Amino acid sequence: MRRLVPILLLVVLGGLLFALQSCFTIAPSRGGGQTTFSGSRFLDPADIALPPGYRIEAIAQNLTFPVAVAFDQAGVPHVLEAGYSYGEVRTQPRLLRINPDGSTRLVAQGDNPPWNGVTFYQGNFFVAEGGTFEGGRILRISPDGNITALLSGLPSFGDHHTNGPVIGPDGWLYFGQGTATNSAVVGEDNADFGWLSRRPQFHDIPCRDVTLLGRNFESANPLTPDPADRVSTGAYSSFGRPSVPGQVVKGQLPCNGAVMRIRPEGSGLELVGWGFRNPFGLAFDPQGQLYVSDNAYDERGSRPVFGTGDVLWKVEPGSWYGWPDFHADRPLSNTNFFQGLNQPAPGLLLQTHPGAPPKPAALLGVHSSSNGFDFSRSSAFGLAGQAFVAQFGDMAPGVGKVLAPVGFKVVRVDPASGAVYDFAVNKGLEYGPASRLRSGGLERPTDARFDPSSQALYVVDFGVVTVGENPQPRQQTGVLWRINRENATTGLGALR
Amino acid sequence: MKQVLLSLLLLGCAPQRLPVAISQLPLTPSLAHGEVLYMTFCHQCHPSGAAGLGPSLNDKPLPAFAIWFQVRQGLGAMPAFAPQTISDPDLDTLIEYVQWLHTIARQEGR
Repeated sequence: MRRLVPILLLVVLGGLLFALQSCFTIAPSRGGGQTTFSGSRFLDPADIALPPGYRIEAIAQNLTFPVAVAFDQAGVPHVLEAGYSYGEVRTQPRLLRINPDGSTRLVAQGDNPPWNGVTFYQGNFFVAEGGTFEGGRILRISPDGNITALLSGLPSFGDHHTNGPVIGPDGWLYFGQGTATNSAVVGEDNADFGWLSRRPQFHDIPCRDVTLLGRNFESANPLTPDPADRVSTGAYSSFGRPSVPGQVVKGQLPCNGAVMRIRPEGSGLELVGWGFRNPFGLAFDPQGQLYVSDNAYDERGSRPVFGTGDVLWKVEPGSWYGWPDFHADRPLSNTNFFQGLNQPAPGLLLQTHPGAPPKPAALLGVHSSSNGFDFSRSSAFGLAGQAFVAQFGDMAPGVGKVLAPVGFKVVRVDPASGAVYDFAVNKGLEYGPASRLRSGGLERPTDARFDPSSQALYVVDFGVVTVGENPQPRQQTGVLWRINRENATTGLGALR
Repeated sequence: MKQVLLSLLLLGCAPQRLPVAISQLPLTPSLAHGEVLYMTFCHQCHPSGAAGLGPSLNDKPLPAFAIWFQVRQGLGAMPAFAPQTISDPDLDTLIEYVQWLHTIARQEGR
């Protein structure tokens, strides 16, 4: 028997070794959207788990692609409907007032979606118009619906768009501009996103001059009918245009992968920080420090990058945050971390780097799509100083394989320690959206915002988006939720 | 030996998920440091110990030497974490934290 023990251990470890090496490769992707959905969505707050002492209720439903919430001077919530969803589904972007009974009143609508974010300041709403079709803009919308473009021509035609905005303690308006591509190289994946055929010359624009290593990436050409047609594309270059070693790409403003700011009347465009990938959520903590939620790389396209969790950054003006050559503070030349199985190594693109990216405030789930967030400011709600982040959830398998759904919840982040805890999450044996779990809980949270009283956390839920060959969003499945302490009283009624 | 066999038998018996109230549980200084290490090196692929990009840890009560081996060797799609990245003492602390997650998950499943 004693002789058998080491043999048994060797067999077990050998089996484990084989299983682990095989597991990720052969296991199918089980993303949260890889499910079926038909009919209408039912809601049951009892299907959502929260920490003891908190409750959640639905305030409004049947919204179409809602992405953000803001409050007017009376504290009335206003929801922003994007007017666009991945899957290239286009509707009308709208700003809606939420009435006490959950009905809506149209405040304004636009024609250049997506509308990605909204804030209220000094009597007006300010909207980040993602502008995938006509270019990004920052809009001012008066309470009676008059729209004024404060800033136009933002490079927003690609994968990621104009985001935010948020008003800083200095009175400036801060916003994010996402990148055109996954990792700075235009490829076939951008045709899948829908924009490559519309804007074949579009590419990422750096905020400062960058010098390239001259690496080029070969791909098929989806813009021509010949399946054998191949092109070579360099970094920060239009599709099919190679680069050369030492090539300098001039920095411009506005640019991609950046946080910028303007005065509320629209003047004085300035760069705050760059080297982000998709700085979707922006918020100031109670001490006036800016934080950004940054959607990290996908495993797709000509330069796929494996294993990068979304990042919560503490933003220091003038800093560079690593895209396209770093994830958090690790260079992509580290194949141990960033080369997927059976995938090419991403490697580096830049000859020199504008700086050393700082350590992140927190690392969130890979493919979690950590989006809008806010900080608790009061003891009435509790957990003052903690960030509450809405996680839209994975879009696997298009962004890369996952073994189980990632996101589809609201998490609490301690910005000091980087600890991440579930805060509002669907009950069940597994994680995932309500459509997958066949429950009445959360689908895809996309914004989390405290009301002006700081007593209630509003969660904007985009609704059902399943993922087959392409994303399949469902109109009129969006919801506005509200989270309070259990003994709190509020003016707005819950849905019955 | 008994612990190894028992761990193998218990594989898959605990639930994946942790209770939401875990954030309110008091931590010893060692577990608090383990939590910081976990959030830095593990959480993005194993969010809250559940499956995501990587498999679930909460339902796999592996013995310490097996966790050590996996972290250092990085089998399958997982990267290897060398001592320059996670020191030996820190890895001990991290393993203590992961095994604490197992305990919480097992209690949740009862």
